[in-house]
Amino acid sequence: MTLTAEPPIDADLDTRDARDPELRLEKLFDVGSLKALREKDDSGAFAARGTINGAPVTAFCTDATTMGGAMGADGCRHIVDAIDAAVREHVPVIGVWHSGGARLAEGVLALHEVGLVFQAMIRASGRVPQLSVVLGPAAGGAAYGPALTDLVIMSATGRVFVTGPDVVRSVTGETVDMESLGGADTHGRRSGVVHIVTGTDDEAFVAARAATDLFARQGSFDLSLIGPERDLQTLLPESVKRAYDVHPLVTGILDDDSFLELHAKWAPNIVTGLGRLTGRTVGVIANNPLRLGGCLDSPSAEKAARFVRMCDAFGIPLVVLVDVPGYLPGVGQEWDGIVRRGAKLLHAFGEAVVPRVTLVTRKTYGGAYIAMNSRALGANRVFAWPGAEVAVMGASAAVGILHRKKLAAAQPGEREALHAQLAEEHERLAGGVARAMELGVVDELIEPKHTRSSIVHALAAVPAARGAHGNIPL
Amino acid sequence: MTHVIAAELVANVATVLVRQGDAVRPDDTLVILESMKMEIPVLAEVSGVVAELAVVEGEVIREGDIIAVIATGAS
Repeated sequence: MTLTAEPPIDADLDTRDARDPELRLEKLFDVGSLKALREKDDSGAFAARGTINGAPVTAFCTDATTMGGAMGADGCRHIVDAIDAAVREHVPVIGVWHSGGARLAEGVLALHEVGLVFQAMIRASGRVPQLSVVLGPAAGGAAYGPALTDLVIMSATGRVFVTGPDVVRSVTGETVDMESLGGADTHGRRSGVVHIVTGTDDEAFVAARAATDLFARQGSFDLSLIGPERDLQTLLPESVKRAYDVHPLVTGILDDDSFLELHAKWAPNIVTGLGRLTGRTVGVIANNPLRLGGCLDSPSAEKAARFVRMCDAFGIPLVVLVDVPGYLPGVGQEWDGIVRRGAKLLHAFGEAVVPRVTLVTRKTYGGAYIAMNSRALGANRVFAWPGAEVAVMGASAAVGILHRKKLAAAQPGEREALHAQLAEEHERLAGGVARAMELGVVDELIEPKHTRSSIVHALAAVPAARGAHGNIPL
Repeated sequence: MTHVIAAELVANVATVLVRQGDAVRPDDTLVILESMKMEIPVLAEVSGVVAELAVVEGEVIREGDIIAVIATGAS
């Protein structure tokens, strides 16, 4: 999705401070749609109703022109009002953040009220989409506001941290600037706090509008919009061993220019994002062989698990594109909790009630086969392209284990030929996709050019449903 | 300015496609690694010149090992 359009505001005619919270919400909403929940005051926050592409939403913005946007009791109540109104009215709520955290002068009262903001967000979690736009520093209490929401967008000037550089230096002796500590690159690439990074504030508003539109106006599948066949096979390399970037396949299945990638730079070995399929909002999860060979590891399992739960909470059907060699082996992975963190993905898929379809393009092995929306975890339909492999591991590796003694006993000159022959036999008996179809864990082989049509028909055939759970930031 | 490209996982360096001093652009393939039974291309993420090439064919590299350094030439 192209996120370059300017929001509908004529900056030249506006003499207000660029940090003015009303101005910021005007940039977020459709022109002329802003209606304040309360008159603007010096509480440190401003809240309003408005529309985005015609869909009603509520929003709040911390007021960086007053005490650096620090959050006092009154400002926090405005924010809670906006969130509660959104829940009552079943509309998305968007928070725009530029705040140093709780107001020091108000002491523990401010802490309590910031806590009530968190509690309002947790109450709303999974009931209405919550989005955050971080345009300046969001420190301390203000850091956890965005972190509790479904989707975080940050412009280049955004900063999120629990404690700033001065405190870090005094406590740990580490010298770091605000950007390295909690800037867009840090949170977009390393920590996974931020889902979408933009250059400018205006682009952040455009991204927030695009994301809100996908949540608020989900539409329905329109089979007349499937369009001509698309030859997706050409997007994969000829050699089955060669890694490739999965993005063209994702965008090739979705409606043109509709894909909004989330967490693009963090855990890039799995691709997650929202887009439209014949007009309807869907969530896409795809292994990306170009990065880490497409293996699942701890961050990618968490990234995908959280995305699955978010889509499930808001009734967004899932398209799962599988080409996965397995979980990433290694001491680091095990010690890092791949067992615990990988289990989140199993749980997320197993719990999901939204329509969800899996396509195996090339291969799916071992534990990762189960985790990637397998039949066992409740996939409504599992497709495979011809030649796809569904197995515990690749045939060559499998015979290396199963026939270790036989291979060891073979003459050195004949070992390779024997290995190849055994692998071929193994594949015929246990691998490929035939056995998976026999067992009913793959439903249908489809030609790559029929992929879009097959997925749309499969998703449209399943009754709409929505998980009844919050969206804890896993 | 320099841009460091490091290995994401343990791998065998199968093919080296550039030499020190070569000009590269984003998405040019620098080397091809073999890992997890796959051939994984390592791409230049930026435009510049290969200032350092730290791997040779046949070598086994570990996660975090430097593969190449690209000088992005601020000029």
